[in-house]
Amino acid sequence: MGTSSSNRRNQNPSYYQNPHHHQPLPSQQLASYSDPYPAPTPFAYSPHPPPPIYNSYNPGRPNLVPYYGPYHNHGGWAGIRPPPVSVPQPPPLPPPPYVDHQQAKKVRNDVNVHKGTLRLEVDEFNPDHHLVSFVFDAMIDGSFTIFYFAKEESNCRFFPLYPEVCEPFKFPFQKGVGQKFSQPSGTGIDLGFFELDDLSKPSAKEDVFPLVISAETCLPSVPTKGSLDDPSPSSSPHMQITQAVIQKNDQTGFQVKVFKQILWIDGIRYELREIFGIENSAAESFKDDDPGKECVICLTEPKDTAVLPCRHMCICSECAQTLRLQSNKCPICRQPIDEFIEIKINKAD
Amino acid sequence: MVFIVRYVVRLKPKPVGDFLLCVGTAPGISASPSEENMRYFNVMILGPSQSPYEGGVFKLELFLPEEYPMAAPKVRFLTKIYHPNIDKLGRICLDILKDKWSPALQIRTVLLSIQALLSAPNPDDPLSENVAKHWKTNEAEAVETAKEWTQLYASGT
Repeated sequence: MGTSSSNRRNQNPSYYQNPHHHQPLPSQQLASYSDPYPAPTPFAYSPHPPPPIYNSYNPGRPNLVPYYGPYHNHGGWAGIRPPPVSVPQPPPLPPPPYVDHQQAKKVRNDVNVHKGTLRLEVDEFNPDHHLVSFVFDAMIDGSFTIFYFAKEESNCRFFPLYPEVCEPFKFPFQKGVGQKFSQPSGTGIDLGFFELDDLSKPSAKEDVFPLVISAETCLPSVPTKGSLDDPSPSSSPHMQITQAVIQKNDQTGFQVKVFKQILWIDGIRYELREIFGIENSAAESFKDDDPGKECVICLTEPKDTAVLPCRHMCICSECAQTLRLQSNKCPICRQPIDEFIEIKINKAD
Repeated sequence: MVFIVRYVVRLKPKPVGDFLLCVGTAPGISASPSEENMRYFNVMILGPSQSPYEGGVFKLELFLPEEYPMAAPKVRFLTKIYHPNIDKLGRICLDILKDKWSPALQIRTVLLSIQALLSAPNPDDPLSENVAKHWKTNEAEAVETAKEWTQLYASGT
């Protein structure tokens, strides 16, 4: 009998003695696993998470998990707006064993240009010139500035490369959801002045874009408690910047392709990235028989964790920890996982 | 019992307790857990139409290892089949059962992939060298052999 039990143990040498879903090991033991990835150091859980270390797109700058639906222009911010206080208190959780399991920080965005709606249209009174149009949501009044060939400088400031040819135009807007902005006739630009090749791509360093739309809001309507303590809250406006390239298409004329969107909030620069699968993840409306909302691994818990860098929101936090030990690949696309980010969506927000 | 939840979760009507006898799968595919071992499934796959396996009923066994879904299920043909990616022991050369396994895959999707493999034999990545060679040198004849084997071993009688 003794031999048979030791045989059984030897039969399966290639697998870890799997901690499995129900019995997470103490974090120190986890750290000593023969994990091929850098040894994770346990960290103390804090409701104020450290700034995201996920920087593969933009070293040195924090990235934002965007809260608007990736596929739907109407997904907007309306349904899932976070509260003005930017860091919600997440429910108490067991200490996560890995540094790279982050809680999403929520920031409030007061103006959002729907990037799929951005167009260049011919000015009918001035057929050589093109005008910008798009749909946007704004919670506060503010203004748009349209730049051509604008270079990003520090502190999210933009400067036109050729100010004598096309100076930036500024247009005020009022608050409201789902508004259409159409640039007034006569303020457009003659794109024929530029090389198509220059219009169609950003500069090599990706700091100059052919079309940049900066949406800036006036002072926040509700001053947060923090801003009272802050000596200069008004010196740092809230902006959403949309950087785009312009491509010439024989049938439809000029087409705008949004390259990226940036948020500048309280002196921090965030890059907006879509999360795939976030639109059907709202946890509190979770029902057992609701396909698509549950974690793709256990098919039981609601999914609340996105995988980075591929941005597939597909698993629950518990399975995320198991996955980390097992394969370290995204279940959806098999890309290696750098980091998990837990995103609690609260309709009440 | 996470793994049971995992495979009953999409079933309707809902199973009673933790036990159920049939896993909802897809047309031409069925899988039922064995009574002795809930991780062991008896599987049947119908040969896809317009393939040499059309009309055949193929029996397979599927075992969910303890690591499932973090590790792939182990699947094997029990019915003899003439196919370049399936050897004479019934073992299957299919990437998702090996290095391309993802925990998002399920019994249903695995079996669908195997059914698709019957429609699209891949002699360039063979498991059965002789069959693959036959397939590459004289495909018409190899297909004939596959049809004969289907009649002989998988006619369901």
